[in-house]
Amino acid sequence: MIVQLVFSGLALGSMYALVALGYNITYATSQTVNFSQGQSVMVGAVVAYALHVGAGWPLVPSVLVTLGALAVLGVLVERVAVRPFLRASSIAWLLATIALGIIAENVAMLVFGKDARAFPSDLAVRPWTVLGAGVYPHELLVPAVGVGLMILVELAFRRTLAGRALRAVAFSHDAARLMGIDVTRTISVAYAASSVLAGVAGILLAPLLNVSATMGTTIGLKAFAVAIIGGIESARGIVVAGVLYGIVEAVVAGYLGTGVREILGFALVVLVLLLRPWGLFGVPAPRRV
Amino acid sequence: MRRVTLLGLVLLLPGLLVLQATTGWTQAKPPITVALVAAMSGGSALSGEAIKRGLTVAIDEINARGGLLGGRKVELAIRDEEGNPAKGVTAARDVIEREKAVAVFGGLHSPVGLAMLPVFHELKVPYVGTWAAATGITRNGRNPNFMFRVSANDDIVDHFLVKHVTEALKKGKPGVILENTPWGASNQEGLTKWFTKAGIQPVGIEKFNWNDPDMSPQLLRLRQGGADAIVMVANAPEGAQVVKSKAKIGWNVPIVSHWGISGGRFAELTGELSESVVFVQTYSFFGKQGPVGERVIAALKAKYGLKGPEDILAPVGTANAYDAMHLVALAIEKAGAADGARVRDALESLGEHRGLIKTYRRPFTPEEHDALNENDYILVTWRQGKIVPVATK
Repeated sequence: MIVQLVFSGLALGSMYALVALGYNITYATSQTVNFSQGQSVMVGAVVAYALHVGAGWPLVPSVLVTLGALAVLGVLVERVAVRPFLRASSIAWLLATIALGIIAENVAMLVFGKDARAFPSDLAVRPWTVLGAGVYPHELLVPAVGVGLMILVELAFRRTLAGRALRAVAFSHDAARLMGIDVTRTISVAYAASSVLAGVAGILLAPLLNVSATMGTTIGLKAFAVAIIGGIESARGIVVAGVLYGIVEAVVAGYLGTGVREILGFALVVLVLLLRPWGLFGVPAPRRV
Repeated sequence: MRRVTLLGLVLLLPGLLVLQATTGWTQAKPPITVALVAAMSGGSALSGEAIKRGLTVAIDEINARGGLLGGRKVELAIRDEEGNPAKGVTAARDVIEREKAVAVFGGLHSPVGLAMLPVFHELKVPYVGTWAAATGITRNGRNPNFMFRVSANDDIVDHFLVKHVTEALKKGKPGVILENTPWGASNQEGLTKWFTKAGIQPVGIEKFNWNDPDMSPQLLRLRQGGADAIVMVANAPEGAQVVKSKAKIGWNVPIVSHWGISGGRFAELTGELSESVVFVQTYSFFGKQGPVGERVIAALKAKYGLKGPEDILAPVGTANAYDAMHLVALAIEKAGAADGARVRDALESLGEHRGLIKTYRRPFTPEEHDALNENDYILVTWRQGKIVPVATK
């Protein structure tokens, strides 16, 4: 039973981690997050559905076009809901991104339709038996792609010029500007990347969950919890926290009952905020004077 | 600027003429408004659409016969409650106070029906449920009671499900999985009551939330407890997750389900797994139809371009709504006025009506506000995406 529960938690947990990584990227560069990340997950699933199932495109071009669309969406979110307020040093970006998320959800209801649809995947039809537990191959694909992407993101951060620019901006806007880095554009890129990550999560989730206009809301929220627990400035912390959160959720639901799951999960968030506001794996920020 | 206004006037002119013509006509015979407050969006949107179609077909028939109360046409106002009780309350108030609805039909979500209950009593307009089955909607202890229903009642459905599990399937260790909402609670009560009466203790009662992606923890708990059958109370998206999780953990016991799963695209979401579930309906458009059934199918084909009964998605919504609208029309005629309180009184004393689901001897009485009972329920399943009756006896 425990193996089964761990498998269940693994797929969902790596999903949380992917989405939470998006929070991390934008927070590190601009101290803002896109609170419509959950809806970006949904947009990823819905656009991929429209192209692959609706228009009958093959899978690969559907996925590529979807991710392109998500990058554009990320840039738009930053331009419309974050940049104007960041300039004014206001935290209205918080409400503005939530508002955009609600708009996205309602637009999806109008355009995509109102009921949940199935996204076919050959990997989610016949379950495999692994260590005595049943698991859809697709559920194993999710953490595999998830971890792969995280490593890629980490490498990109350290090895590429754009990645270094992102890190420089994260360190200090002024210093980065002095080094000739276009801070505004870098933040824009961070939002695009964050949105693409959510889109990947959406496409991966689509065959497991059903595709619907409201599918992303809970995921966005739980991913934020994961980001807080792991430490929003620590990419590795988020990955570990995401996977752990998913597994703990499943194990708690399995042994204690589903009623307790949400209570324990979010109580943990409050606890972490109280005791270690920088997250379990983060480091306390030195105070700049 | 001047040219623009002139052009505008010219364009407006035919519109004004039409407007005048129609108001001139309707002023003599004001329409009678009935309303539908149901989930027209979200995971159970199909249910709202199905109810709308049933009401519309009945209203078209009534208007083709010349309307009610000496030539007044019936009009339908629709509001989307999105499955949200608070929005349902606002919508119910809105259709009664602004649109002057004389009766309000309800949708799939029981929590919404329960939340709207005080509004109907305050504004004295009858509610006629076409889907939501929570026992407390009609059996609410109010007098006079403004809540009616042409649909299933959880308590009666639960008895029906328990009888199927214990008598037809001969299972003695049932597990129950239901949604964590007032509708789930209504069934938890009913199922516990009827299982206890049958001398059986369910091995477990598991719950899930809307949009939960994976139900294997709950199912594992039931399997651990030794369940030999599952009774499920879910809507389509979550019901699909239960069935998929059950296949994943490789557990092969029969699922007997309440009918919420027929309110969405359950068959599409689960593929061939849908055929492993049997569930309750009040009516099936498949098989030999009576004259009313033939007429309704023909009307649905003509109006909505359906090819046959397999295109009637969420069929109970359509069937219940069709009969409900005709019963309300009879009550309006009997009351002799488009007045909510008088329509309510009339509903309790209607005579025989040959409806789609059955011939109603006396649809409602002061004591019984559910027009359908377990003798009217049928057990069905999916075969290649179509809802077909299961031979039980």
